[in-house]
Amino acid sequence: MTQLTIAMGKGRTADRAMKLFEQVGIRFSDYHDKSRKLVIYDDDNKVKLIFVKAVDVPTYVENGAADIGIVGKDTIMEDPVDVYELMDLGIGKCIVAVAGFPEKEFTNGAPLTVASKYPTIAKDYFTGQGIRVETIKLNGSIELAPLIGLADVIVDIVETGTTLKENGLVVLEKIADVSARVIVNKASYATKTSQIQQFIGDLKAALE
Amino acid sequence: MVKNEVYPEMLLSENEKFERIIKTIHKRFTTYGYKRIKTSAFEQYDLYSKVNSSINQNEMVKVIDRTGEVLVMRPDVTIPITRELAQNFPILTSELRYFYVQEVFRQQIERNESIESTQAGIEYFCQSSPEADAEVIALACHTMKDLGFLDIKIELGHAAFFQEIIRKLLLTEQQIDQLKALIQAKNVVELGPYLASLDVDREMRDIIEQIPFLYGNPKEVYERTKGVVLSQEMQETLNYLMAVYDVLKMYGLDQYIIIDLGLINHMDYYSGVIFQGFVERFGKPVLMGGRYDRLGDEFGATLPAIGFACEIESLVKATESRDISSRSLIDVKIIYDPTQLAEAIAIANELRERNYSVVSLPARKEQEIRQESVCTIRLEAEKNALFYKEKTIYFKDLNELVDLLVGVKGATI
Repeated sequence: MTQLTIAMGKGRTADRAMKLFEQVGIRFSDYHDKSRKLVIYDDDNKVKLIFVKAVDVPTYVENGAADIGIVGKDTIMEDPVDVYELMDLGIGKCIVAVAGFPEKEFTNGAPLTVASKYPTIAKDYFTGQGIRVETIKLNGSIELAPLIGLADVIVDIVETGTTLKENGLVVLEKIADVSARVIVNKASYATKTSQIQQFIGDLKAALE
Repeated sequence: MVKNEVYPEMLLSENEKFERIIKTIHKRFTTYGYKRIKTSAFEQYDLYSKVNSSINQNEMVKVIDRTGEVLVMRPDVTIPITRELAQNFPILTSELRYFYVQEVFRQQIERNESIESTQAGIEYFCQSSPEADAEVIALACHTMKDLGFLDIKIELGHAAFFQEIIRKLLLTEQQIDQLKALIQAKNVVELGPYLASLDVDREMRDIIEQIPFLYGNPKEVYERTKGVVLSQEMQETLNYLMAVYDVLKMYGLDQYIIIDLGLINHMDYYSGVIFQGFVERFGKPVLMGGRYDRLGDEFGATLPAIGFACEIESLVKATESRDISSRSLIDVKIIYDPTQLAEAIAIANELRERNYSVVSLPARKEQEIRQESVCTIRLEAEKNALFYKEKTIYFKDLNELVDLLVGVKGATI
């Protein structure tokens, strides 16, 4: 049997995913939180786990550098790739939302300025609503943008809403629910069908 | 110094591999009765804007000729061949089999990929039948086997399956795209809720939600479809696929075939079976094809046909990890003592006449020229020897050598 390569980003989602793997009998005895290793193998040598930057997971999977990827729906929405999206792990749940000052209204006059880590999601959402927008790509502290007048609203992931609240912002509209998904390379699914279906089946059983 | 040595070697082996793959494909296509044709490198832009939704017009490389007319650099081969035939045969009177190996030019909008790629493909103009369609798929499999791939998988689907669904649903263009994307991604998580939002009736919803699971071994997929109520057209489509599969079994190819009812090809002109092929350790399809019975209609002709194409550059990449040792082997290397030059030339000439690849070099250059070969011949003042697979055989003259080599060639070369 050939090995399955799984790509994921480090962080909270990865830790939860590792626990899930353990439940289905895939153990990484060598792994610990502080480890800096980027490639690890499970005890039975059936799975090779590679840690990459989360936003790069879809790229690794689309090009076949990994058979399977575990990544947030927000990343897939921002950078759509040609892969199978077979499963919702139900971990890392949050929403992608439009946020801004409470009284903010979207009028159809001048284009709305939107600051976001997710310019594609923002653009697609507002265009779908028939609202003209200009997007500004930011990489962090998105909440700052409306406060200093850089943008009218922001599009970001919202988990608890604490950061928004402390900065006087509210969720104006929800765009989508987000959670960690299992994506699969199409060629791998064809050439390693039974192995991948088994893996997905095991995970599903563990989640129930 | 090192650089100079390694780089040309790398370049050479890539090119060698490229040519070898083309040669192999060429040979295999010919054995199925296909004749090679060529099409023009420049095509009318109008030709491609006429045929609906085949290739994204932004991806085409456009040029303007002397008269100000817009031309495109050949973005595909199927459409020009069909147009060409349509001008000569309004109705298909006999079956035609063509193949091509030529460059196509497309500029991917967001990707930094090469504009030029080399496509090898076949077009088989014939009425749709399980035998004809299976033969084309068998040829695709056979070609991949020739190239040395072991783990070949051909995903087989049918364009009518999805077309039937959208005909029944009356959706907007945008909704169709969304549904297509969800089915192509086998996105079970979001497919159900999306269908619910579309107000699709129960029966249809059951079918569509099952599509992601209608993937795998043809017999098992067929069994699984019994759990859903298919429309008559869908059932006929499925039966047709099973008939194609039955013929493929006779070719002994059943272990390579996967049915994927969620397969939707990017080219909208496909009307019947569609398929794509994958090989081990390569993340993208290495070949794609399908039946396009209505493409001829665009040019006022009735030209049912099926075809497939593969990209040589992808195949070169897919074979990268294998086959390293045999890559640059030549058949015979002759190392001669300076006094035996005449003999060396005579032997080299004779062997080349017999289609062996031969390199000859004087003994003093032996260290410099590290050409690997299947057999080595050593010509010395007193004795001549042939080295083959750790065996040493001495021979007197050319005739004896040829006899020896015939034995060897019969075995491996």
